[in-house]
Amino acid sequence: MARNRRNQSAAIRFGPALKALLFCLFFGGSGVGYVWQKQQIYELSRERKQCEVQLDDLRRQSHQYAAQLAILTTAQELDARVKQLNLGLGPPQPDQVLQLVEAAPTPGAAGVRPVQQLVAFRSGLRAAR
Amino acid sequence: MTQAFQNRRLGLLASALVLGFAGLGARLYDVQVVRHATLQEKADDLHDEAIIREPRRGDIRDGRGNLLATSRPVLTVAADPTLVGSNSLAVARALAPLLQWDAVRLADRLRVRTYLDRAGQTQAYHYVVLRRKVRLEDWPAIQQAMSHLELGGEKRRLSTAEKVFRQNLRAKAVFAEPDYLRVYPGQGLAAHVIGYVGTREAEAVLDDPAPVRKRILETYGRDGIERTFNGELAGVRGWRLTEVDRQKRELVAFREEDVAPRAGLNVVLTLDATLQHVVETELAKAMLEHSPASASAIVVRPRTGEILALATLPGFDLNDPGRAPLAALRNRVITDMWEPGSTFKVVTVSAALNEHVVTLDDRFDCKHGYFFFAGQPLHDHERFGVLSVAEIIARSSNIGAAQVGIRMGPALLYRYIRNFGFGDPTGIRLPGEVRGLVRPVSDWSKISIARIPMGQGIAVTPLQMVMAMAAIANGGYLMAPMLVDRLEDENGAVVARNQPLVVRRVVSEAAARQMVAALKLVVSTNGTALKARLEHYTVAGKTGTAQEVVNGAYSHTDFFSSFIGFFPADAPELCISVVLDAPRHGYYGGQVAAPVFRNIAERAANYLNIRPEAPGSGGLAANQRGGRLTGAASD
Repeated sequence: MARNRRNQSAAIRFGPALKALLFCLFFGGSGVGYVWQKQQIYELSRERKQCEVQLDDLRRQSHQYAAQLAILTTAQELDARVKQLNLGLGPPQPDQVLQLVEAAPTPGAAGVRPVQQLVAFRSGLRAAR
Repeated sequence: MTQAFQNRRLGLLASALVLGFAGLGARLYDVQVVRHATLQEKADDLHDEAIIREPRRGDIRDGRGNLLATSRPVLTVAADPTLVGSNSLAVARALAPLLQWDAVRLADRLRVRTYLDRAGQTQAYHYVVLRRKVRLEDWPAIQQAMSHLELGGEKRRLSTAEKVFRQNLRAKAVFAEPDYLRVYPGQGLAAHVIGYVGTREAEAVLDDPAPVRKRILETYGRDGIERTFNGELAGVRGWRLTEVDRQKRELVAFREEDVAPRAGLNVVLTLDATLQHVVETELAKAMLEHSPASASAIVVRPRTGEILALATLPGFDLNDPGRAPLAALRNRVITDMWEPGSTFKVVTVSAALNEHVVTLDDRFDCKHGYFFFAGQPLHDHERFGVLSVAEIIARSSNIGAAQVGIRMGPALLYRYIRNFGFGDPTGIRLPGEVRGLVRPVSDWSKISIARIPMGQGIAVTPLQMVMAMAAIANGGYLMAPMLVDRLEDENGAVVARNQPLVVRRVVSEAAARQMVAALKLVVSTNGTALKARLEHYTVAGKTGTAQEVVNGAYSHTDFFSSFIGFFPADAPELCISVVLDAPRHGYYGGQVAAPVFRNIAERAANYLNIRPEAPGSGGLAANQRGGRLTGAASD
């Protein structure tokens, strides 16, 4: 005859309880982990979208500034600014341009550098004055 | 008794459950099997989203990298009328001033409209465009106007549904999509070369996974480089297959395909924007001074055929081409042909020199300005006696040129005309180029051999004429005109580069050199183009004053006045052509076109830092040394 439950041992059976707890923890943890992972995916995709939008905005701004810069540096615009600010700028006349003629290298003058040539030219100018 | 009652209740409950589950099963079967395809499509429509990603159109730049055409980001403002509902007038009143639209028309546009879908069910349009090409800086004001929209009845207690509706209306009913606006920083600069764009409706089809068709507004080139290089500039569309939530926000994690658009290539021209500006300002001055119907100029580098400037006035603003009259849109340099007049003598005489039919010192009797040939009289602008071939060029004697042509004979002259490129398109990469009019010898009349050598009875384009002159400057090699230097990707890497192309040798170097010697005389005190001379460079060139044909007869009031020249004559850097159509104050090429040439040449030489010739070796003195001349000329 089976024993009355009241008469059963009061001792707690840890084995099955632990099993149940682990079981619950496993399933509960899996559920929470799944939700957490989904949340992470959602958060990351949101951040990615924000970054994409930001990148697009920056690209747009860059193109916009490039277009503005191009407008401001057109020859017409610069001409107009020169007139507006009364700068009196104009292209140099040919007689204002100093042409430095590069002499063909000769054996004796192999070591003469352009800087030395310029110094010689300047001293020649001073002598002429 | 109780047992039987309980069993009956249990049986009823079981039957109800069975029936319930059977019903659910049937419903499941209906939904998942019978109506699967329809419902799947409906579900896909709700959360699948196919997005066409438009590429950025490539830039057009000049040879130094200055932007001539670019695409500026703008927005297309659109609305979902179903979210606006009956508040279209309130929305229209708020947005009309910002979108620069009439409020009533805008309200009408915001009205909910329906259509029948493939299943025959009525559907409402969720998308209407309110305005395209809205500047980025204008969008915050539109957003603010929508978020502060006055709808009335705010004080009374609103139902939850109404609150949600108003929230959606203010936040989502009006939205913006990225778009591009073609911008031309130089406005009218090189308008006829760059061209302009238009928009047209097109259909983009995405094949994967199921065909998705999207109507899009496509930007395409309508004229100039924009048209010729439309394929390269347009780029390649990208796409994105993704999912959206109920509020149409993208669920990035569910993206299936994401292919980025490939931006169009940048087209780098041989033009120089500053030189182009110089040419256009000088032409504008000539337009003011001489009031011609039009004025054109071309600057070519003879050695390579590179076109550094190409301008036609009247021009138009590329940012608003719709406002320009049709005539102003025409690139007369390639679409118009005209009788070249005296500039064509260069072809006749260089051909004769090349064939040793004449030498520069051979002398011809110019009959004191009146020559009768094949029953028709031929006149000179002055009564010349005996002139050498060099003098025929310098003084622009029609009778002399006619006699040189007669000595050559039609077959030889025709061969050289074709060799110089007349009668064929030059192949410049611009739309609408005409080939000119060169009749075969079999169609020539008796007087053709006397008329064609002096530039009558033949029609050429200004571009053909300047390339022929550039061939003389280039030692006899005819170059193909080169307008596009290279194609670059968006990072500046060169994708393709054009190289100068020799079409053919048209005359020997010796013949070209002799011709240059004769052309130097044109720009001397005894030549026809003293006003073209430059202080620091020797110029070689030729004037032209051709009568226009009006109502089938030569006009005595309308002329094509032209000057084509190059400098420094013995080592040419630039060849410049100036053509004025029907100038009103003065009409000789040497009077109206030569000064424009001089102004352009002086500024161009300065800008390009072309080395001046050594003192005494250039300028008028050098032009005078070209030959022995007496008297004066005026053509």
